[in-house]
Amino acid sequence: MVSGGGGSAVALAPGRLADRNFKYYMIFPAVLVILLIGLFPVIYTLIISFQNLTMMDEDTSFHGLMHYRALFEDARFWESLLHTFIFVAVALPAELLLGLAMAYLFLERLPGRQIFVALLVLPVVTSPIIAGATWRLLFDNQFGPINQILGWFAGEPVPIIWLVDPNFVYPAILIAEIWQWTPFMFLLLLAALSNVDKSQTEAAELDGASFLRTFRLIVLPAIWPVMAIAVLIRALDLFRLFDVVWALTRGGPGTSTETISIYAYVAGFQQFETSYTAAMAFVVIVILAVSITLVLRRLEIDR
Amino acid sequence: MDRRKFLVSASALAGASAFGLPRMARADAAKTAVEAAKQYSGTEISIVWEAGLQSLDPLNFSGPMWEEQTGIKVKVIEVPTAEMFTKILQEHRAGTGAYDALNVIPAWMPDLVRAGALEPLDAMVDKYGYRDQLQTIAPVYRDNQMTVDGKIYGFPDDGDVFIMYYRKDVLSDPKIQAAFKEKHGYDLPVPPATWKEFDDVGSFISDFTDNKPYGATFFRDAPYAQFMFQERFRNEGGRFFDADTMKATINSDAGLKVFNDWLAENEWMPAGVQTWGFVENLAAFLKGDSAMTISWPPYGRWGAGYGTDEEALSWVPKSQIAGKVGYSMPPGGHPQLAAGFALSISASSKQKEAAYLFIQWLNSEETSLQRVQLPYALRDPFRDGHFESPEYKAKWPEAPEYLAALKAGAINGLLDLSLIQTDRYEEALRQGISRLWGGDDPQAILNDTAATWDGITDKIGVDKQKAAYTAWASKPNAYPS
Repeated sequence: MVSGGGGSAVALAPGRLADRNFKYYMIFPAVLVILLIGLFPVIYTLIISFQNLTMMDEDTSFHGLMHYRALFEDARFWESLLHTFIFVAVALPAELLLGLAMAYLFLERLPGRQIFVALLVLPVVTSPIIAGATWRLLFDNQFGPINQILGWFAGEPVPIIWLVDPNFVYPAILIAEIWQWTPFMFLLLLAALSNVDKSQTEAAELDGASFLRTFRLIVLPAIWPVMAIAVLIRALDLFRLFDVVWALTRGGPGTSTETISIYAYVAGFQQFETSYTAAMAFVVIVILAVSITLVLRRLEIDR
Repeated sequence: MDRRKFLVSASALAGASAFGLPRMARADAAKTAVEAAKQYSGTEISIVWEAGLQSLDPLNFSGPMWEEQTGIKVKVIEVPTAEMFTKILQEHRAGTGAYDALNVIPAWMPDLVRAGALEPLDAMVDKYGYRDQLQTIAPVYRDNQMTVDGKIYGFPDDGDVFIMYYRKDVLSDPKIQAAFKEKHGYDLPVPPATWKEFDDVGSFISDFTDNKPYGATFFRDAPYAQFMFQERFRNEGGRFFDADTMKATINSDAGLKVFNDWLAENEWMPAGVQTWGFVENLAAFLKGDSAMTISWPPYGRWGAGYGTDEEALSWVPKSQIAGKVGYSMPPGGHPQLAAGFALSISASSKQKEAAYLFIQWLNSEETSLQRVQLPYALRDPFRDGHFESPEYKAKWPEAPEYLAALKAGAINGLLDLSLIQTDRYEEALRQGISRLWGGDDPQAILNDTAATWDGITDKIGVDKQKAAYTAWASKPNAYPS
């Protein structure tokens, strides 16, 4: 009996174990796919960064940190990183503030609201390279309407060479970028604002709270999770900014508007410095991974 | 047979041997390719071609004709010029075999050969008897844009050369001529032969006519302007490198003079000319807004109104200057053989023979003569026979002068710089030019560019690059002789 009972207990254990592990078996294929898609390229990039693949040589022997050392001495790399941070630092708050302002505007039931919202969303669905090419035409100093319109206000021809003059080239890129992606912020924030409990804001209003106080203490906490995710998505998008800058200036004049994505493209796919570019990509991955982790912890939305 | 008849027959045979039979043999190159290709009937080959107008040649003309004659379909893969090198090398590295035949800018050829991306063609040239016809390609293209280390890797297929186009009616206007002489103390040269004369004439016309037309316009956008720099720098006596040390000498007085002259010229050219590319400059010239310009050969054809009624050219402004355009060498007398194309075979192609036969047929005397006369396809005359073609000369009244200018360009032209990883040097130059338009100091830009070039040379290896440069610089068309 004892032995029979013991045998029964032993016989049941694998079944329970199988039950307990069943969930892992179920998610294993998905995790494997995700690892293959997400992790494999990162590991492969890391391996390549220790080799010396170039246009002429397919040298797969181990070269240690050669490319990382070169990268840290490469002024163009650091400059392109700086340019990228400038775009993020200026465009992100601008898109957030404009998107929020527009969302507030469209919160009220205005006549033709749906049509306006649909029109405002159009830039988001436009391919960034097409948007860039369109803005290139708009900024054209000879045929573009922007100088023409400015000329009407100035009362004389305005000869701004937007995409060449160092004083105007950043504003030109930022205008194009902000134009395209503010509607994205607008849509998310409009959705978030629509879900704010109106009874609380009305109560605050009746109690004489100012708009800013109501926004800070009632609205902002309510829309914070959505806003944080929107900011995070846009920050990551801006960090890999390529298309609009490529279409407008190709990183020029010189390399003054070159972003890290453009430099990586030039080094990797025009000059075929494959291993060097892999090192560059890996450094960027590390920077982004650390930044995102810190931001998520700070925002407390990773829980 | 009496002695007289024998001599006549012998002379006739000798004459036929000297002129007729080689020509017949050469004329067979297209036919030979077609006959040999019939064994591949029912297959499909791909060819990489520059996107846009260029590719209308294989799409609308040569591709369908080849299919009709051989049963081989041609898949045209259109790629923007700036991405052609990248795509060709990427596909080769990936070993996809997606590309069979290629259009290659000759300056890239050494890099592509070193990377193993191009198939040597000598064996197939001999097998299909094409060597004779290669000899009738204009020497500057044949001797400089066909081989790497003595082996054939491409057939020069496009006589790209910068030509100066000038308005004969404006430069020969008696009022302008008289006023010019009064101001400058010498007769207005038609056309200007030096850059000093060019700048004197251009600035004077802009001033005298109140910019209607401007004295001259150029494409100044960096990708185009870097070709203009290469040309003018060498015409001013500049050398790219010190041949002994391989140190860049682009920041010499010649380089500084070119940059300073450019900035001075912009003052009497249209505002914003710094951003002009091929199309903006073309539009200004065809509308009659510019008295002089320098560009590739299509400007001459379209300026004369040749073929611009074609639907494919509907975007080209109607020429207001037909019959008024003169053609000459740019100031300095040595034009840039800017870019151009050669036909090659991908080393990773799985249909090399069929692809080879297609490019032999395309490049043959017979087919190429038709192709360079396509008004929309941008292929420019590159064979001796093209320059002398009575058919071509009859296309518009000034066509003989036009062809004579192209022929002169093919003799005096300067080769694009071609080293190991040429594009890295050109990229630094392009960035330097865009900084010039951004207002940076010319000498500082040139010093930075030279430093960047030195850095690239060091990375590649001074000795390796020196050998490549020495080989390039020893060609007769590398520098003005």
